[in-house]
Amino acid sequence: MADTTQMLKGILDGCLLSIIKEGEIYGYELAAKLESYGFHSFSEGTIYPLLLRMQKEGLVSTTLRKSTAGPKRKYYSLTEKGELELEQFINRWTQLSSSVNNVLNKRGN
Amino acid sequence: MVSKRAEQFLVELRMYLISKGKNDKEINEITEELEVHLMEAEAEGKDVSHIIGYSPKNYMKSIGESMKTDYRELAGLVPLMILLISAYLSIGPAIEGTFSVSRGTIWFALIITTVSFLGYGLFLFKIMPRFFQSRWGYVFIFCTSLIVTGLMVVFMFWYRAQNFEAVFVATPVQNNLIIILCAVIFIGAALYTKTWFTILIPLFLSMGPIATRLLPEETNNDPLYITITILVFLLASAVAIGIFIFQSKKDQKKI
Repeated sequence: MADTTQMLKGILDGCLLSIIKEGEIYGYELAAKLESYGFHSFSEGTIYPLLLRMQKEGLVSTTLRKSTAGPKRKYYSLTEKGELELEQFINRWTQLSSSVNNVLNKRGN
Repeated sequence: MVSKRAEQFLVELRMYLISKGKNDKEINEITEELEVHLMEAEAEGKDVSHIIGYSPKNYMKSIGESMKTDYRELAGLVPLMILLISAYLSIGPAIEGTFSVSRGTIWFALIITTVSFLGYGLFLFKIMPRFFQSRWGYVFIFCTSLIVTGLMVVFMFWYRAQNFEAVFVATPVQNNLIIILCAVIFIGAALYTKTWFTILIPLFLSMGPIATRLLPEETNNDPLYITITILVFLLASAVAIGIFIFQSKKDQKKI
């Protein structure tokens, strides 16, 4: 599990940005979405330090809304800067995944 | 409502972030966000460790690293604490009309300030998170306050018995000005910290000096009145603690 978490570092940011791009979403839903995409092997709370950092960097904006019970929910949406960052992430990931696949499948130039 | 373990974690996280000098507003935001998450996750049968991992300390650290340290708030709190302690120590003698400053007073103030800072830090960050939410917490808070107040009284008696030579003795007008200044500090601190305790505690502390100033000496020294006053205060404290416990249980049920 620890190894997977290490591998996920840096990748998770892009995944979060991509999910947030689908529409306004709050933390718990975000974790559930990640799980539904197959991310089972990490603690759900891992997303909050990342969300805090992305908020600080202006990649996401937040709004507080009343919930059915308990404290208000904090909803995240993507800013223009966040969209740009997501685009760059997709480019970086496409190149990286293709290189990693090439290495693993022994397909050099 | 979250489980006791989750609530304990949230309290510890809050204390940890306060101790790291993070911004109050941001602390509230993150703890509320995590509370929502823990509430919904536990309702679906998940465990706290599923959310924060198996090392709450590491998780708290990662949250803390993502938040900025609010140096402005920290810079404001230290002088505020010093002003508050000075005002706590000055209001009694000023009301009695006996405010004076000696070398002993300065040493006394320095020792009280250091002990208060250390005691406050130890209590808030190390002891309180462990006892929070348990019945022993209330007993512990009550006993600690009793011991601290007792020690302060003993220290006060010792200090008065020393008869340190005064380097400044306030005139009646200066005593009144000190009372006004102290009141301004208490009200200002209450507004800054958004709590009532900086007004309520001085009011409580001022009752004795006010009585000394207003009541005739024979009444003030009458053992019967002293006993009645002590009993009334004990009863009032017990009622206040009772109301506090009842109110916190009511608030918990609401959640």
